[in-house]
Amino acid sequence: MDDAANSSISEPLDLVKLALGERVFIKLRGDRTVTGVLHAYDAHMNVVLSQVEESVHLVDVTEDGQALPPRVERRNLEMLFVRGDGVILISPAQQ
Amino acid sequence: MSGGFFGFETSLPERRPGQPQQGQQSQAFNQPRQQFSGFQASNTDETFSLSGAGEEEDLAVYTWGEGVMGSGGLMEGGDEMNDETFGDDIGEISNNFQFSSQPAPAPTTSYTQGKAKIASTQSRYKPKPVADPFAFSEDDFYSSRPTTKKSAFSKAPARPKATQAQSGSVENLWNKPQVSSPAWGTAPSSVTKPTPPPTAFPSHPSIQPGPPGHIKSLEEIEAEMSQMNVNPAQAAPPAKQQVLSLEEIEKQMMETIEPPRQPTPQQHAPAPPREATPTQVPGLAGSGYGSQQALLDSMFPELGKGAPTIAGQPAAAFPPGSEAQQIPQPAGPSPEELARMEELHKRISAKIESMAKYNNCMGSSDKDFITRIQLSQLATADPYTSDFYAQVFSALKRSRMIAEGQQQEGPTVVSVAAGMGFGVGGPVGNRFGQMGQKTMSKLTTQVKKLVENRAQHQKVGNTAALQGALGRVTRGNAAAPRPVLAIPSSKPEHRPASQLNEQTGVHRAALTRKQVMFALEELYDAILELEQMRRDAPPPTAMEEIEVWHAKCQAKVDIIWRRLMVMEPLDISQPHPFISLINPVKGQRLFPRLLRHLPHQQSITLLSLLIATYPQLDVVARAPPPPVADASLLTKADRLDRAKKEAETDNFLHCVIPGVDIIINRCGLGLVAGMLAISAQRSEVWRVASTRPGVALYTAILSRAQDLIRSPAPDPMNPQQSQTADPAEVDQWSKTFTYFLHVLLPHLPDLFPSSVAQKAAFGPGAYLLQGDASHEREGVEMERREAEVWGFAAALAVNAAEEDQTALVGALREKILHTVQAARHPSTTPARADIKLRNVNMFLNGLGLDAAMIE
Repeated sequence: MDDAANSSISEPLDLVKLALGERVFIKLRGDRTVTGVLHAYDAHMNVVLSQVEESVHLVDVTEDGQALPPRVERRNLEMLFVRGDGVILISPAQQ
Repeated sequence: MSGGFFGFETSLPERRPGQPQQGQQSQAFNQPRQQFSGFQASNTDETFSLSGAGEEEDLAVYTWGEGVMGSGGLMEGGDEMNDETFGDDIGEISNNFQFSSQPAPAPTTSYTQGKAKIASTQSRYKPKPVADPFAFSEDDFYSSRPTTKKSAFSKAPARPKATQAQSGSVENLWNKPQVSSPAWGTAPSSVTKPTPPPTAFPSHPSIQPGPPGHIKSLEEIEAEMSQMNVNPAQAAPPAKQQVLSLEEIEKQMMETIEPPRQPTPQQHAPAPPREATPTQVPGLAGSGYGSQQALLDSMFPELGKGAPTIAGQPAAAFPPGSEAQQIPQPAGPSPEELARMEELHKRISAKIESMAKYNNCMGSSDKDFITRIQLSQLATADPYTSDFYAQVFSALKRSRMIAEGQQQEGPTVVSVAAGMGFGVGGPVGNRFGQMGQKTMSKLTTQVKKLVENRAQHQKVGNTAALQGALGRVTRGNAAAPRPVLAIPSSKPEHRPASQLNEQTGVHRAALTRKQVMFALEELYDAILELEQMRRDAPPPTAMEEIEVWHAKCQAKVDIIWRRLMVMEPLDISQPHPFISLINPVKGQRLFPRLLRHLPHQQSITLLSLLIATYPQLDVVARAPPPPVADASLLTKADRLDRAKKEAETDNFLHCVIPGVDIIINRCGLGLVAGMLAISAQRSEVWRVASTRPGVALYTAILSRAQDLIRSPAPDPMNPQQSQTADPAEVDQWSKTFTYFLHVLLPHLPDLFPSSVAQKAAFGPGAYLLQGDASHEREGVEMERREAEVWGFAAALAVNAAEEDQTALVGALREKILHTVQAARHPSTTPARADIKLRNVNMFLNGLGLDAAMIE
């Protein structure tokens, strides 16, 4: 059955196809991550997501250069287009 | 400097006063000497006020091989005082927009910079030939000193217009410099073409107001200019100061002097290779913005009319002293208006100029070639699908237009080759609508060729996977590059179904999530293809085509059926593969689309399987837990999990249950009874019934059965089911139902979500659950879900026999009383109380009772 499943997976993006309509986790450049339901993608890894939660990971630095503990800023978006050049990885969201 | 290079007189001009009577060329060639002598004089700096410019540099400005070399484009400096030096003459002739519209400083700079790159490549490729043969030193030879030569180039095409009324002063030359002489007019406008090297540094005799035969020295010219500058009548707004190098002036003068340009051997040598390309042929230069002036004139007809042109008339033929004619006073527009227009014109010409540097880089054949390549990429084997959304949009738009009475004709798909075409589903006309028939057919053949070529290449590429299989390392070629990853592209479809059918009774692991997703994607693809096929139905007249089409559709349906894995043995895995497929949300969404295509028998089979394996469904096996009184007691993961389960359940109820209803409503009583029996045998009905999908399923079955028993009215749509209920079937049904009811009865009160919630709650939560106005919305939602169960109970009641009804009421007595009391409780909001009463009445009315009877 594994053979059957693999027979027409010929390129990496075919695996992304399997995540269509599912919640995915996407790591982005600029210390950002988003999770959302994948609606569409293309060869450039431009993706369209819905019910998105975006997390920005920030490290604040005090005036004397001391790094404060990292914090995460989150926001929720109904629908989001993510340009592919920022995408580092796409994975199925951990259930 | 190498004196006498062209065999011209090299003696200093002072020593040859009679020179003006010589031919123009020789004068022109002689003039530089004079100018250089002027520069070499000690007054260089004060004359030109070039701050920080050394003598050597100033000399180099006049190194006239430099322009040819094309090594200009360097930062221009020392021009701040140019207007002082050369006069400020823009305002003087207000309608001469050609010349006064020198590019604004900013565009000039940027252009110069842009030009510098070109120059540098040129110098890289042709370092020696383009080097200045007249350089003084090696430094000069590869000189990259500031020069305005480039800006002179850039400006040159923009001012082919000039007056023939040339008069004797240099200043006039500046103002009305360029006669649109035929030679200039046909010259390619591309800036990459160097203007002919300044083989002459003209100071034409005819332009000198001085005594004939006297060649002005540079000092004299400058003196004249400075006089003009102080002339208040000629004062122009400072904003329009011209930044002109002497070189530019020379160029302009030279251009006026020698309209028919004679290519000298020297001109050929340094010409960049680009000049040899056919696009530079004057005849072709007309394409694009070949004649920028024409473009400008077409945009601003009123601007150009101040400078009448008489082609072919050499400027030099005009006698000196015609200066008066040269300042035509425009009668119409006011000065401000003119200034505004001039400003606009300046901006536009600067813009055109900046674009013009790319002019004629590509010939029309190049453009065609690229267009064809692009179009060939667009051609697909399935233009309708590739263009799907546009096509659908177009279809909608067209139908609306037709409804409005507008006729919109034209193909939505243009076929270019066998099985290849473009989708051109623009709503208003198609994208190729403006093309003539001839263009279209030409394009079609060309694209066809390209498409076929591409297909051939792809074919070659496919065999490439085998290259190197026998150990020989192939290097590949352009047509078939060696694949870095050899992935077997096509395997015979190797379905688990066929494999499993051979070995029956075998238990297998459930499908993994990846397998499920993969199978779903395949199903979606197949469904989309099938839907497309249905859309492409041949006209009803073509009988044999319809036959073929039906066969194709049927084959597709069979494939889909196989992929659904419905025919797998029931116990093949836990959950059954089909259940695995409709567990994810997107599998559920697929369900109604599938049903539409499945024939009746297959849909019955599918429903039987679904009912038999209903407990395996995620939404049943892992139904969302009952709500808790206080959501803050939950962890985040818990909340997310609940939300996900709720969403899945909602989706199931929304997508799958309506389809199930449809199938059930097509079944006869025997089938319905059979389905209930399957469910009762194979599953613990109370578990299934305690979930919303289970309640929905059973309600549908029971309602259908009751419909069939009570009103066997013939259904005109379904004649096969029009027969009255068969007594045997009714008997079978009542037996099955009785069994079902008795299994269910002890658990009946527990089916209600409120009961489940109360059971699950503990501690203070149990009290919080009671009529709580603060959670009104949740409360109403809860009542709505209660209604589903009450509806199920009502369906049970109407199906039940007399004695069973009593048992039913007995089982639900507490629940009924509790609900009615809660509805009457003062803390219950009216809305909620209303729903509660209605819920109870739904059940009681089925038995001929009412909540009002309850004390």
